[in-house]
Amino acid sequence: MITARREAWIGRLLLVAMMAVTILPFLSLFVTALHPSGTYPPGLAWPGDPQWGNFLRAFEAANMGALLQSSVLIVLGVVPISIVLGTMAGFAIGHLRVIGGRVVFLVFVLGLTLPFEGIITPLYYQIRDMGLLNTRLAIILPLIGLFMPFSVFWMRAHFVNMPQELSESARIDGANVWQLFRRIHVPLAMPAISSLGILLFLWTWNQFLLAIVLVDDATKRTMSGALGAFQGQWGTDIPLLCAGSLLILTPTLAIFLIFQRRFVAALLQGSLKG
Amino acid sequence: MARPIPGRSPRGRAAEAAARSTRGWAGWLFVLPALAFYVVFVLRPIALTAQYSLYEWDGIGPSTWVGLANYGRVFTDPELFDSLVNAVKLIVFFSAIPVVLGLAIAATIRRIAASRLALVARTVIFLPQVIPLVAAGIAWSWLLSSTGVVNQFLTLLGLGRVTRAWLGDFATALPAVGMIGAWVLLGLCTLLLLAGMSKIDVALYEAARLDGAGAWREFVSITVPSLRQEIAVCVTVTVIAALASFDIIYISTQGGPGNATMVPGLQIYYLAFSERQIGMASALAMVLMLLVIACALPIQWFTKDGNR
Amino acid sequence: MARRVRPSRSGAALVIAMGLLAAACGAPGSNSPQPEASTASSLSAAPACGTAPITLNAYFETGFPVAKALTTEFTKQHPNVTWNIREDQFAVITQNAPRVLADNPPDLMRLPQVSELVKDNLLKNMDGYAKAFGWDKWPASQLEQLRMGPGGRPRGEGSLYAMGINFSMTGVFYNKKLAEKIGLSSPPATLAGLDDALAKAKDAGITPIVQFNGGATGGLAFPLQNLMASYGPAGPINDWIFQKPGATIDTPSNLQAAQHLERWIKAGYFQKDVNAVDYATMMSRFIDGQGLFMFDGDWESGNLDKQMPGEAGFFLMPPAQAGGKRAAMSAPLTFGVSARAKNADCAAFFLDWVATDRQAREIGVDIGGSHPMGPADGHMPEIAADKVTASTLAAGADIAKDNGSMDFIANATGAIYAKSWTPQLQKMVAGQQTPQELLKQVQADYTRQVEGN
Repeated sequence: MITARREAWIGRLLLVAMMAVTILPFLSLFVTALHPSGTYPPGLAWPGDPQWGNFLRAFEAANMGALLQSSVLIVLGVVPISIVLGTMAGFAIGHLRVIGGRVVFLVFVLGLTLPFEGIITPLYYQIRDMGLLNTRLAIILPLIGLFMPFSVFWMRAHFVNMPQELSESARIDGANVWQLFRRIHVPLAMPAISSLGILLFLWTWNQFLLAIVLVDDATKRTMSGALGAFQGQWGTDIPLLCAGSLLILTPTLAIFLIFQRRFVAALLQGSLKG
Repeated sequence: MARPIPGRSPRGRAAEAAARSTRGWAGWLFVLPALAFYVVFVLRPIALTAQYSLYEWDGIGPSTWVGLANYGRVFTDPELFDSLVNAVKLIVFFSAIPVVLGLAIAATIRRIAASRLALVARTVIFLPQVIPLVAAGIAWSWLLSSTGVVNQFLTLLGLGRVTRAWLGDFATALPAVGMIGAWVLLGLCTLLLLAGMSKIDVALYEAARLDGAGAWREFVSITVPSLRQEIAVCVTVTVIAALASFDIIYISTQGGPGNATMVPGLQIYYLAFSERQIGMASALAMVLMLLVIACALPIQWFTKDGNR
Repeated sequence: MARRVRPSRSGAALVIAMGLLAAACGAPGSNSPQPEASTASSLSAAPACGTAPITLNAYFETGFPVAKALTTEFTKQHPNVTWNIREDQFAVITQNAPRVLADNPPDLMRLPQVSELVKDNLLKNMDGYAKAFGWDKWPASQLEQLRMGPGGRPRGEGSLYAMGINFSMTGVFYNKKLAEKIGLSSPPATLAGLDDALAKAKDAGITPIVQFNGGATGGLAFPLQNLMASYGPAGPINDWIFQKPGATIDTPSNLQAAQHLERWIKAGYFQKDVNAVDYATMMSRFIDGQGLFMFDGDWESGNLDKQMPGEAGFFLMPPAQAGGKRAAMSAPLTFGVSARAKNADCAAFFLDWVATDRQAREIGVDIGGSHPMGPADGHMPEIAADKVTASTLAAGADIAKDNGSMDFIANATGAIYAKSWTPQLQKMVAGQQTPQELLKQVQADYTRQVEGN
């Protein structure tokens, strides 16, 4: 019993230590953000005169309103299309078992581990030739393609477990393939779809490489890319940079805290399957 | 998992085949849109990367065919080859630390899994997964600077002698960048392993206790083997993160000092967009993609059976 | 149930598919339109911005408020012109320049090294404007560094491809209070005198030099080039920077300079964490009085006059021998117009305005801290003698007398700074590179980059 109690205490201590290490960077950002702009505050020191106005200045300097709007537009472009197309393909490959489905699936699977840096160069010239550089479509279209392997993989994993009898009975009732998909399988797939949606949202929101290469205007980028631009422009003013970073973090953190259960579950399943 | 298995009897097979041919072609309409995006924005660029890698091209003027010369340079030019070596070294930090530490922490937490503290911790240690890597890079470069919190802490502990600008020192820059990666990935690994542990049959542990096994024996002979799949997943995800790292390094060191933290992802970006050596960039990109597949495929294969 | 796909069949299908995809297109770059060399169009009258509303797209460097201040004043005088300004740090601009000029052309852009941009036909040929506005009647040395032969080589002669908004100068800033502490009453006249002051500062527990050398920006190139100018003539260094055939950086006098820098490093004259110090950190440390000397340029004069009034001094790098000629890195703060800019005429008019308008020249001196471009008899604002700006402007005249102006060794090729000087200097700080090897390595990279282009 004594050992058990000691183990429990060690466990608690470890947890607290780990949480402290996790929180530390956020805390440091926050404290530094309150120092007068242009200074180099040493370590963790509470400022004598906290400059709450830094957040307002960063909000204006970063043009946060426009950034939020841009990120939302990009997410709205990427996530629904990816979900619809991924679900349809996953349904066809996993449930309808189309001819040649296995080969197609293998081709998709090969893309699962693709590092984006591998194709960023030709992607740049392709987007340029399409005349889409410096538009949000330059991020949206390639991301749909790049997320397709995972979306298909994820949805196939769901559909492959759906019993065929479900479809057999619907077919007997005269439903065609589209109705079968729309009326029976999509409603049943909602949990898988919403988890996929969360993952795609997060990956889109935090996409950096495509944003900095394909879009120069920070107000047409993702949040992450905008933060890169913000660092490029204000990196010389540490408190302002910290304030801006925190502001840019806030939306994801807020959404995470609201939907945290789903988030954690989705991310865990996501990495298990991916 | 109970599913009618097609092809048991000859008659069933014929019926199945008929059904497939009618469904089959209609089904392609479901696959085509997804495939179109994939082909245009992934497969075509991959093919183009392969093509570019055989040319010398500045991205503007005409190109010259150079065969495999670019690949030759990837493996002989120390600047390019070292970036690959650095990526492999990063695996130690991105993979080994989160997995080993994650196992230890998860095993400890398991005993108090139901407590309030553990529930809060689940949320908190997950935060690094949610924020952009760019933000992690900014926050940590500030923590690791010569006047940062890390040095402040070391000085408090009486270790003032070892303080330094961690990201600006040849000996410590790569490990420091690695620690940022470890910070990001530790939470994910811990929670993954924890989730896996909750599936382990408690009876196994009880039996072991009855046999007089200590916590360590229990850990080695029950916990680790049961988590084979979860560990494999952690390793895959983190190895890919290490090899394809870009965001953190772009923000915190830009590959410096010297080329101490140069990784293939960043090198490709510089080669392609600032030095305009598209061919070299593409050759390195091909090598990187193959390296990732070479690392990920065996582990994927390994977990395949678990994935039905 | 086993769902293994036989790899051979699908693998083959994949290879065929890839082959088809690749075969569908020819050699890269073969079918995209090639930008053509822009030739100077002869203008009948000097262009202007007109009266219709017009928005200029500009791309400036962060931390240099002079460009923005000028645009604000310009809009005040020409209300139909508004500005859409993007800012980045210089390292980012260097990375982005070719891409942005080609595919998202700004009307006015702060430029890094120009010769490769000219080679790729990304910059507008300004000869026509020079003639129309009379820039060719200004002292020729002002625009020399912005002239390029066909294809970008060599630099120093040929057509004009960029303009400066002022003419900056580098040397050594010092903290007057700390100088007093070590008994330094007047700027050292020789290199030995400077060495002496450095040693005294070190003994007094003062950081002798604050400099930046972190990330992608090797700031030790400033003291290195100054040392090169102490030991040898400026001419061969300029030849190297201008990519004249046969030029080399690996010369005996440059080796002496590199060895001298190594001695400074080994003596601990720089901050311990210099490899992690970026430009802004260096500035804040110097302003905070954390170091005696700083190798930097007069673009900071205005800033220093504001942030540490009366406490900062400036002198030119002293020669190795007393009475020797002095030299300094001195270059136009370079701005250019994209070959594909929509409002090139208005941008050129702005550049002319910067050099000739009374108000603009005052902004250039007060905020920019440097000598304005323009005619020799152009308006110069009065500067109080105790201001560091006054010393930097005076130093400019000395350099002109000694004919000692050099471009920056980091500007020799587009990649030489980030890929060669910076890593090599960072290695030297860490004791991983010798002066001999440093110069050899840089020369090797230079040869490859110049030939590869």
